[in-house]
Amino acid sequence: MADGQPGSSAPEVLPGAAETAHLRVDNVTKRFGAAKAVDNVSFAIPRGAFATLLGPSGCGKTTTLRMIAGFYDPDEGDIVLSGKRINQLPAHRRGTAMVFQDYALFPHMTVKDNVGYGLRVAGVPGKERERRVAETLEFVGLGGLGHRWPNQLSGGQQQRVAVGRALVVRPQILLLDEPLSNLDAKLRESLRWEMRELQQQLRMTFIYVTHDQDEALSLSDWIAVMNQGRVEQAGTPWEIYYRPRTEFLADFVGAVNLVPAIARDVRGATAVLAFGGARVPVGLPPGVSVREDQEVRLSVRPESLWLASAGATAQGMISLAGTVARRAFLGDIMRYWINVDGREWIVDQADPGAGVAFEGSVSLMLRPERAHVIVPATPAELSSG
Amino acid sequence: MTSLRREPSLLLALLVVTGLVLLFIVYPQVRVVATPGGSGYADFFSGGSWVRPLQNSLSVTALSTTTAVLLGFVYAYAMVYTDMRGKPFFRLVGILPLLSPPFVVAAAYILLFGPRGIITYHVFGQSPNILGLFGIWGVQTIAFFPFSYQLIADVLSRSDARLEQAARNLGAGPWQVFRSVTLPLTRPGLGAAILTTAIYVLEDFGNPALIGGLYTVLPTQAYGLISGFGDLSGAAAVSTILLGLALVIYVAKLRLDGGRQYVTVSGKASSIPRPPVPRWVSWAAFIACSLCALVILLVYGTLVVSALTLAFPTNLGFTTQHFEYVGAHSLSLRNTLVYGLVAATLSGIFAVLAAFLVERGRWRGRRVLDFLLIMPAAVPGLFFGLGYATAFNEQWLDWVDRGALITISMIFWNIPVGYQAAVAGLRQIDRSIDEAATSLGASGLRTFRDVLVPMLGGSVRVGFTTTFVRAVTTLSVVIFLFTTQSTTATITIFQLVGDFNWGGATAFTVADVGMAIIALVVIAVLGRGRVSLGAARG
Ligand SMILES: Nc1ncnc2c1ncn2[C@@H]1O[C@H](COP(=O)(O)OP(=O)(O)OP(=O)(O)O)[C@@H](O)[C@H]1O
Ligand SMILES: [Mg+2]
Repeated sequence: MADGQPGSSAPEVLPGAAETAHLRVDNVTKRFGAAKAVDNVSFAIPRGAFATLLGPSGCGKTTTLRMIAGFYDPDEGDIVLSGKRINQLPAHRRGTAMVFQDYALFPHMTVKDNVGYGLRVAGVPGKERERRVAETLEFVGLGGLGHRWPNQLSGGQQQRVAVGRALVVRPQILLLDEPLSNLDAKLRESLRWEMRELQQQLRMTFIYVTHDQDEALSLSDWIAVMNQGRVEQAGTPWEIYYRPRTEFLADFVGAVNLVPAIARDVRGATAVLAFGGARVPVGLPPGVSVREDQEVRLSVRPESLWLASAGATAQGMISLAGTVARRAFLGDIMRYWINVDGREWIVDQADPGAGVAFEGSVSLMLRPERAHVIVPATPAELSSG
Repeated sequence: MTSLRREPSLLLALLVVTGLVLLFIVYPQVRVVATPGGSGYADFFSGGSWVRPLQNSLSVTALSTTTAVLLGFVYAYAMVYTDMRGKPFFRLVGILPLLSPPFVVAAAYILLFGPRGIITYHVFGQSPNILGLFGIWGVQTIAFFPFSYQLIADVLSRSDARLEQAARNLGAGPWQVFRSVTLPLTRPGLGAAILTTAIYVLEDFGNPALIGGLYTVLPTQAYGLISGFGDLSGAAAVSTILLGLALVIYVAKLRLDGGRQYVTVSGKASSIPRPPVPRWVSWAAFIACSLCALVILLVYGTLVVSALTLAFPTNLGFTTQHFEYVGAHSLSLRNTLVYGLVAATLSGIFAVLAAFLVERGRWRGRRVLDFLLIMPAAVPGLFFGLGYATAFNEQWLDWVDRGALITISMIFWNIPVGYQAAVAGLRQIDRSIDEAATSLGASGLRTFRDVLVPMLGGSVRVGFTTTFVRAVTTLSVVIFLFTTQSTTATITIFQLVGDFNWGGATAFTVADVGMAIIALVVIAVLGRGRVSLGAARG
């Protein structure tokens, strides 16, 4: 899965994002009373990107989005749209249309009137308006439902109306706050692709808020993962998934093995992580440095590990002796919990139908280039950061 | 709604609303309170003429409130908890008194029990003196129990039927459930209902004016001081005492219900089934309600019969001459209709706009404006009217039409019901709805107009109908404001009673109430919905 992706040379941000950024959030802080809901957040989103704010409940995603929309004023910092600071611009003149979690359709207007509302406000004449509304309804797959009332639509249809209503005004940026979270799993998945398709066709900048990592990984060009009001890390889905910089991130985005290890033989951008009897050479991502003998974590995804019969070895792989503690059949994969020196590792084996089910003693095979070092935040680093 | 600084139109709207509230709610009241001045108050209080009326007001309020609430409670309990027959009929009869000036009860009382009353004189040959405390007490009980019934029924019907059902399933009897489940849950609401009734009774002017005789209460003393002696300073001092009492009761009420109580007369029975009560309770309730309904029908029946007879009760020959008289003097009816409709429309709009600015805004001082907007509910009509007479009776204001002034006083005196209904309505509309409109490019006021106002239809109707009904039925607000050109139906009725022109007075009453009913039905048909009515008062 990872093989087709750029390796450790993956860029930190999308190429040239900082200069051509469509939207920039610069050192923005928002307080509610004494609590900081958003704490010194910065990022830049290039024009035409599908950008996602991802994070657990209460981490400040919605608050950030609402500051971009103009519903909250930042206490500190700037919101910059197309190179212009828009902190002072009232929400209705920002050209940032928003799609809400509960859709917020106007219950006293038909689907047509809902979608046409933004055009009516903009003073688009009736004929032109009707044409564009019809076009948009077609575009979001609601042709023929224009005369219905919102309460006569299914959840998925309401969601499309909400998207159509926002798209029809051709906003500079479309803001979406968990637009799929009220739908059932199947529908969520199919609408997810429609969303991506739509964005690709329009080449419009989307800022999408979600707490669902699958959604974020599959939809986005760029993801910022937030935690407790801060951006923990921003980058491509690939970077976020395979090069998490913090334990929180590694853990939040998918299952992960985080193994305590000691850094040895630190040389420039490489080091050797030692744990138990094993020594795993790793490359250090840009901006990450470790000291000799520092306690760090080796991070490796379950699907990047292999199992073999006990005693097996392979070229370029590190082999650890372990025993199968448990296993669970998850449909698309078989998940194993392997006991290695008293520590449990999670291993996912793809295509369980084809392989053998392992039992008892096994060999856990690890490819060093799939592993990755995470430097735990020490209290000292936290306070200085 | 974003910051006001960014949206000048919103800021302007807020300034206008605040300005109007200061000018038409705060300023007149300040003027009344300030009228006597330091020495005026000193003289007045040392004079001691206020002691008796104050005592009288307190006693009569305590007595009438108690009996009105008891009757209202019985009526409400019967309507909400029993399955007695004839509920639609009783509901209708219970609404009727809300649509007429409360003092028509006093008029009917005089016709029935006065020195030449049909019952006292014609049946028993007596000419009793009915003026005084007992007359007021009895009349106010009848006049205000329907109000307290509406308030209490509203509270009771909101109590959770499922809890009561659960308690019954655990083996508790109906009375036990009521005492141990319903009462504790509804106590604040019932308390607020009692206090609201007390305010109505305290500020009632028409009934004591007609049958109080020498038994003077604060409102009649204030009126007497002005109309009899031209003593504005004394009247202002008396009114200030009255306002103080009403405010105390009102603040107590606010602490109980948070100021969110208003009655909705929907004409629709509560949808939740209540646990059944024993048959004998239903029958007792039926008998009690029948007696109450009988009294109400007796009052209105007397008025109708009197309006259609030559000289009730001595000459019962049929005539239409009183209605011809009404037709010939229809100016006051026309005024009432025009003032009522204009005031109701503007009051509804203003209340919703103010509610939008307070409920959706994020600016300092919102709480203050909120308080000022619900405060008129505590201000006795007499005080409010006196305030307008004091504040705007200036020579340089002579160009202002008195009818306009009356209309304005009705708008602002009746703001609280529409305002509270609109605030409650706004709280039920998720902010994301406003924000959706905003993010599509609509300014604050545009969002208000296109999205919130249409969604607040119900609240606008509550404000509209309540203001209309109160405008049609109020006597006390206009008594200091009217001129011959801007007189209203209630004033005319009051004057005709004073002249012992019973035929004219009752015909006018019937016409006034009939007009209110027709207007409400038309409004309901136009609004294609229910008539929602805040509890009105005189
Ligand atoms: N209007 C507000 N007043 C006070 N506190 C607020 C307000 N809005 C958000 N907060 C607080 O700020 C923090 C961030 O909230 P926010 O809504 O941005 O989280 P979120 O990431 O969108 O969470 P979720 O996934 O649950 O929607 C939370 O702790 C929340 O309680
Ligand atoms: Mg959120």
